[in-house]
Amino acid sequence: MGKEESYELGPRGPAPPKAPKGRGRRKKEQLEDMKKEMDVGLVGAVAAERLLRDGPNELRPPRGTPECVKFGRQLAGGLQCLMWVAAAICLIAYGVQEGQGDRGSADNLYLAIALIAVVVVTGCFGYYQEFKSTNIIASFKNLVPQQATVIREGDKLQINANELVVGDLVEIKGGDRVPADIRIISAQGCKVDNSSLTGESEPQTRSPECTHDSPLETRNIAFFSTMCLEGTATGLVINTGDRTIIGRIASLASGVENEKTPIAIEIEHFVDIIAGLAIFFGATFFVVAMVIGYPFLRAMVFFMAIVVAYVPEGLLATVTVCLSLTAKRLARKNCVVKNLEAVETLGSTSVICSDKTGTLTQNRMTVAHLWFDNQIHTADTTEDQSGQSFDQSSETWTLLSRVVTLCNRAQFKSGQENVPVAKREVIGDASETALLKFAEVTVGTVSEARGRFPKVAELPFNSTNKFQLSVHTAGDRQLLVLKGAPERVLERCSTVMIKGQELPLDAQWREAFEGAYADLGGRGERVLGFCARWLPAGTVAAGTDPEALPEVAVGLCFAGLVAMIDPPRATVPRAVLKCRTAGIRVIMVTGDHPITAKAIAAAVGIISEGSETPEDVAARLRVPLEQVDPRQARARVVTGAELAGMEPGVLEGILRAHPEMVFARTSPQQKLVIVESCQRLGAIVAVTGDGVNDSPALKRADIGVAMGIAGSDAAKNAADMILLDDNFASIVTGVEQGRLIFDNLKKSIAYTLTKNIPELTPYLIYITASVPLPLGCITILFIELCTDIFPSVSLAYERAESDIMHLKPRNPRRDRLVNEPLAAYSYFQIGAIQSFAGFTDYFVAMAQEGWWPLLCLGLRPRWEDTHEQELQDSYGQQWTFEQRRYQQYTCYTVFFISIEMCQIADVLIRKTRRLSLLQQGLFRNHILVIAIVFQVSIGCFLCYCPGMPNIFNFMPIRFQWWFVPMPFGLLILIYDEIRKLGVRRHPGSWWDRELYY
Amino acid sequence: MATLNEKKTCSERMENFRRFVWNPETKLFMGRTLINWVWISLYYLAFYVVMTGLFALSIYSLMRTVNPYEPDYQDQLKSPGVTLRPDVYGDRGLQIYYNISENKTWERLVTTLQTFLTAYTPAAQHLNVNCTGDKYFIQDTFDGPNNTKLSCKFTSDMLQNCSGIADPTFGFPEGKPCFIIKMNRIIKFYPGNGTAPRVDCTYVGDESRPLEVDYYPVNGTFNLHYFPYYGKKAQPTYSNPLVAVKFLNITRNVELKIVCKIIGAGITFDNVHDPYEGKVEFKLKIED
Repeated sequence: MGKEESYELGPRGPAPPKAPKGRGRRKKEQLEDMKKEMDVGLVGAVAAERLLRDGPNELRPPRGTPECVKFGRQLAGGLQCLMWVAAAICLIAYGVQEGQGDRGSADNLYLAIALIAVVVVTGCFGYYQEFKSTNIIASFKNLVPQQATVIREGDKLQINANELVVGDLVEIKGGDRVPADIRIISAQGCKVDNSSLTGESEPQTRSPECTHDSPLETRNIAFFSTMCLEGTATGLVINTGDRTIIGRIASLASGVENEKTPIAIEIEHFVDIIAGLAIFFGATFFVVAMVIGYPFLRAMVFFMAIVVAYVPEGLLATVTVCLSLTAKRLARKNCVVKNLEAVETLGSTSVICSDKTGTLTQNRMTVAHLWFDNQIHTADTTEDQSGQSFDQSSETWTLLSRVVTLCNRAQFKSGQENVPVAKREVIGDASETALLKFAEVTVGTVSEARGRFPKVAELPFNSTNKFQLSVHTAGDRQLLVLKGAPERVLERCSTVMIKGQELPLDAQWREAFEGAYADLGGRGERVLGFCARWLPAGTVAAGTDPEALPEVAVGLCFAGLVAMIDPPRATVPRAVLKCRTAGIRVIMVTGDHPITAKAIAAAVGIISEGSETPEDVAARLRVPLEQVDPRQARARVVTGAELAGMEPGVLEGILRAHPEMVFARTSPQQKLVIVESCQRLGAIVAVTGDGVNDSPALKRADIGVAMGIAGSDAAKNAADMILLDDNFASIVTGVEQGRLIFDNLKKSIAYTLTKNIPELTPYLIYITASVPLPLGCITILFIELCTDIFPSVSLAYERAESDIMHLKPRNPRRDRLVNEPLAAYSYFQIGAIQSFAGFTDYFVAMAQEGWWPLLCLGLRPRWEDTHEQELQDSYGQQWTFEQRRYQQYTCYTVFFISIEMCQIADVLIRKTRRLSLLQQGLFRNHILVIAIVFQVSIGCFLCYCPGMPNIFNFMPIRFQWWFVPMPFGLLILIYDEIRKLGVRRHPGSWWDRELYY
Repeated sequence: MATLNEKKTCSERMENFRRFVWNPETKLFMGRTLINWVWISLYYLAFYVVMTGLFALSIYSLMRTVNPYEPDYQDQLKSPGVTLRPDVYGDRGLQIYYNISENKTWERLVTTLQTFLTAYTPAAQHLNVNCTGDKYFIQDTFDGPNNTKLSCKFTSDMLQNCSGIADPTFGFPEGKPCFIIKMNRIIKFYPGNGTAPRVDCTYVGDESRPLEVDYYPVNGTFNLHYFPYYGKKAQPTYSNPLVAVKFLNITRNVELKIVCKIIGAGITFDNVHDPYEGKVEFKLKIED
């Protein structure tokens, strides 16, 4: 980012007008002036001038793509391009034929119009879908303008935060959002929540001292859009708008290119196959036509027609509808998808890089463990307090709980009696809040207990003492309670309470204490010590100077330790486990401390039980870290500092060597680097996060998943998917749905592709054998865009054939959406059977109307001669041109019905790729059954609706011609069952390799 | 994904393609080993042999079930088409234009008629029987030779003035040309419901202006004994009955639109989609 050169820590521009200064003034006096100015603030006019210069103090929304470009993108996908080319070819063919004065050339025009219409309509659909989800996301934005307290010309003003300028003097207090990057001038107990920026869950103290060279680490800078949790502070605005740290990260995110989604890559691959086959077929038959002796232009028109016939017009609609159905299903499960194609991406994900705070954890401190009676007790950290409680019968617990209750300044906001404790709002810092809630849940109403033991005197926590103590009246005695950093607390204790007995604090107990402290600290928890002492009444009088209190607090009785942590969400461990069984690697990437990160990783299962880091191995084997074989350590924690020192390529090696990775103390750029490294290893990476610091990584990821409730706008903008309930477990649902839709899309595509062959062969036979055209262009359009759409979409509702969550993620290089066996099986086997069905029915209809098959061969020139009004059929009857034309329409219809009948069999076989149809359940997919009924009804309507012959070239055909293709349909069913049987029985065999798609 | 997205140069693509066609390391030809290609080809060969066999079987059984004498359905042949001789097509339908003073222009037309009538010479018709009854010639049995049915004789002399016997130029040089109207054959079609259908020629759109026409045979009727037609197999020597029309008062140097309809029950001439059903329209222009 190059902070040094561009991030200035101080007001810029001309100095504000100062009191008139005479010559020879001394530096000290100038400083005095500046101090005065500090109190006075900026002059309104200067502020206005700077506002004009720097622009308003707000993040420029990422330059949104113009709506027309968004729409244009919807029209320029792989399939769309294929269809544009096809439409262009149609128009050329139309032009050529029109130029030749050819009758029936209007078909090509219709085809071109239909192709363009399909692209535009699906484009509108996709655009609408994107527009809708963008709207859902936009509704999260907080539209209420933020207010800031600013001092200008000595007056305290409330202005809109976006009017702040560099050099403004602002005041912040607990509950405020920091209105800009400010340097703290004075602070009283000010703490800010930097979690969205750095990932630290703990509140950070802000004070005027500069403690670090890095602006991110130093204490005297509070950042734009972070929360001030408590205390007050005054500061100078040093940067506004996009020049703030947050603004920088946001612009870093917008600089990251969006990756192509895996499904888009798959579709491009598929378009390559289609285009290749189309041109191969077209060229072959062009040559054939030339050899047969057609004129060049005519052969050219044939070529174009074949290429166009290869375009699966219905596929685009199918894919779009399937994806949006899944998007809708996901939305019901609280995953909103911004980009339709992202639906599938989650399914092919092989690595999830998850942020810790707020994603894996609850983002609130909670009491996790207690140590008393020389034993570590586990507290309930679940979000809904459904966990097990510990043994509370000990006397020691009575004392400890009393100290916890009394030595606490936090309190619930009023009027929340009916709210569950965990959800109540509290005034106080995070640890005190945790303790207050803990006490309320385990002991009972805290306010009542505090009422019984009125406070006499109190010394609040400060960084010198590192403890907090208070004295309470307890009947005829006084109770002194103290909590604080454990080692400081222990210094003041002389006894320890074990099972209600006060025992002298000897070396043995000290050791026990040290052990417990180290243990809890090692779990990444923040540990506090608690102790108490009974005092005779009147030892401390009301109104005693708090500074005198520490003198009384000696010889205390140690009660116990309480350890707090931001605990993992309850659903996360199971979700992580599910990801593991699904072959997805979960990597934690956080800005938080390594110890905390490791502890949480272990708690949620990112580092599984028994896995060791190199450090652990070194400690176990008592060897230096350098001698540890990385292969011995499954897990590894890498900090941002180590990452910064790594040579390029080293990170990939580490990612390969250790399956369980935790990255701690990482900066936004490093998150980006981690994601890119994973991608270089060939993984499809999902990133989950909520903070601003996650947004570049979210953008870079193949799929970025942002949290809907806790997530910042920057994160949501960068993400492709949003979890409305912030539940990591929803990702697992997403993965499952994504995998299902990949499988089902495969089936849909196989179904859709199959009929391409029976649509194409009539034309090929027409060219080579010169039979009357068996299938017309408009009829093909009806198959593609009308009757077959619903069944192909209904396959999206098919349930999974096996437990897809126990399979490995698909390998994007090997497991393609459309692979060779799929194309070959659909085109050259099922498609071939369908073609035979169509031709059988065609010849039946022709023969029964008077045209025997042998007569049909070579009949085309006379059949299509418009001047021939007395063409003899096989019985000697004479037909006019128009009578022949209607006979041709009858053939179209018969061929259409044949394809439909076979497609019913086809949709049934596509329900499964491996299982038998009977194992899957023939009628369990109700939508599919309805789709078949619908398909047949449309077929009937097209055939028997009056007027159809002259509008869409459908004839009311004889009823029995519906049955001619049925044996072929049955053949398809049986043949596919045999195929599946072979695939199931002989996995890995030649049969499996060639026929399993 | 980065590796998957790399833009390849054209030469790289060609190289990849070459490796796809023949990969010397893995011995793969177009993604398969040669033996694998043999296997897959054999599989497909077997598959297509079986499918073709099934298809052939279907067609064979179709031909076994099809009636050799008459078609199962005549859905498109509700009403017969009508044709005209001589038939010269212009941009839009039949156009008979000729110039009396230029022999070449009408000799073509005359030749067409003469060629057409060669099928109606007594020699060509010698296998057919003479029919006299003005009723449908219904034959339920095969009375003809070789298990066929009999067909009635139609000879060109029945066309009298337009037979080309008395006037081999069919009246073309005089500006009173003969045209021959023929009705298409439809199996077991009974035109006219007992009364013989007749040809009626008028100007198109202008029915009031009289068109003077001589019809041959008399009244321009198709005698009922030529119907019904029993099909090629039953009546191999059947020939369509003809009606000749001779236009007597054709205005010279004007393009005239004439329609000849066949009037009779069961014959429709008002199908908007088929201009040759039950009628024939043509343009006639005689120049001098």
